[in-house]
Amino acid sequence: MSDALVLHDWTPDVRCYAVRLGLSLMGLPFATRAVDMDLAPGQRPAGLESGLCPPVLQAGRTRLSRPCTILLFAARQPGVAPTWLDPVQGWVVMDWLDFGATALDTLATLRTAAFGTTLPVLPGTVPLEALLRRMEDHMAARALAGEAWFAAPAPSIADVVLFVVFALSADLGVERDTCPALRRWARGLRRLPGFVVMPGVPDYA
Amino acid sequence: MERWHPVSVLSDLHRGEVAGVRIDGHEVVLWREDTDSATLHAWEDRCPHRGMRLSFGFVREGALGCLYHGWQFGGTARCRLIPAHPNVRVPAAIQVRTHMVREHAGLAWVGMEGAGAFPATMPVPWPVVQPVRSVHVSAGAGLLRHALGMHADVAMTWRGPVGLAVHAPVAGQAMLHVVRARDAQAPSPLVLSRWAERLRDGVEGGGDTTRIMGELA
Repeated sequence: MSDALVLHDWTPDVRCYAVRLGLSLMGLPFATRAVDMDLAPGQRPAGLESGLCPPVLQAGRTRLSRPCTILLFAARQPGVAPTWLDPVQGWVVMDWLDFGATALDTLATLRTAAFGTTLPVLPGTVPLEALLRRMEDHMAARALAGEAWFAAPAPSIADVVLFVVFALSADLGVERDTCPALRRWARGLRRLPGFVVMPGVPDYA
Repeated sequence: MERWHPVSVLSDLHRGEVAGVRIDGHEVVLWREDTDSATLHAWEDRCPHRGMRLSFGFVREGALGCLYHGWQFGGTARCRLIPAHPNVRVPAAIQVRTHMVREHAGLAWVGMEGAGAFPATMPVPWPVVQPVRSVHVSAGAGLLRHALGMHADVAMTWRGPVGLAVHAPVAGQAMLHVVRARDAQAPSPLVLSRWAERLRDGVEGGGDTTRIMGELA
């Protein structure tokens, strides 16, 4: 039996959301240890090691601190449907996962800068818009080929990460009305069993 | 503004879907009922309650629900339910401003205020038209029209079996809508999608797009 999963989590962080969403969609139970990154390091109750930021997943003696690595780890746990890391399209999943890691970091950096300011400033969204355009072109082609997901016939961990990028880009005022293929795909992901929300990703239920 | 605008390919507006579009800076929500009639609506993208964009909302039981407080607007655009006051008879005055909308040539067309009747003579030279894709172009609609060889007054043009339409969401931005004749010797949807990306990149780059347009010949 695998070790219990403990996630050091900061609710408003997009990388933490990617992990929470992925674990939930894959049906993996986990405990959370809340870490308030707005507090000074010495005041954070979870007591993460210096230099570590959520998300951090602890599974026995394994400690992982990158969201996409955590999702890879999760997708290989016993009982998780193999489709989340499709064995046939595995390299394609990894390729989009790598793309998603960069996109997620870009989003997190821009979002932190936008929310952390005391004066209203326009975030530089050009890098994010370029990433979304590539995603839109890809999903438009996938839809025309009769496919609904980024890398495989079923949703994969790449879809999880890229959903977070698309959904939370609204926080930065990035135009999403011009991304109809991504809108359709995101709508499909929202319907998956185990889908969870975070502030900024509304719950229609 | 006094014209009909092609705003989306119909394949992006399936039953129960909601889409926000802008037309010359005006925010419009398109939504299709999740009922048997699957009627398409185009409204001002603004809830009369608190001004929330209705395109952030959802379709339930033939109505568009606002994400903010769940106010529901039926096909007539009148508010039919305020969830916080379910027993209140909603005044008829609470309704969303509507626009005219038509489905034609694989596209959704919106008639803004003063547009007049939908032009019955707008020709479609093919019996069955298949939507391909809407593509965002970060360049003025005039530049895109120029690349397509379209006159400013023309809403849609055909290059053989390929239909091309343009609308301006805001100044300096454009949407290119691509459709094709089904069952004709038209390029495949995927080929046309890639072609539209090359044209977009060409127009945005400010280079000569003659060769790209020549690919449709």
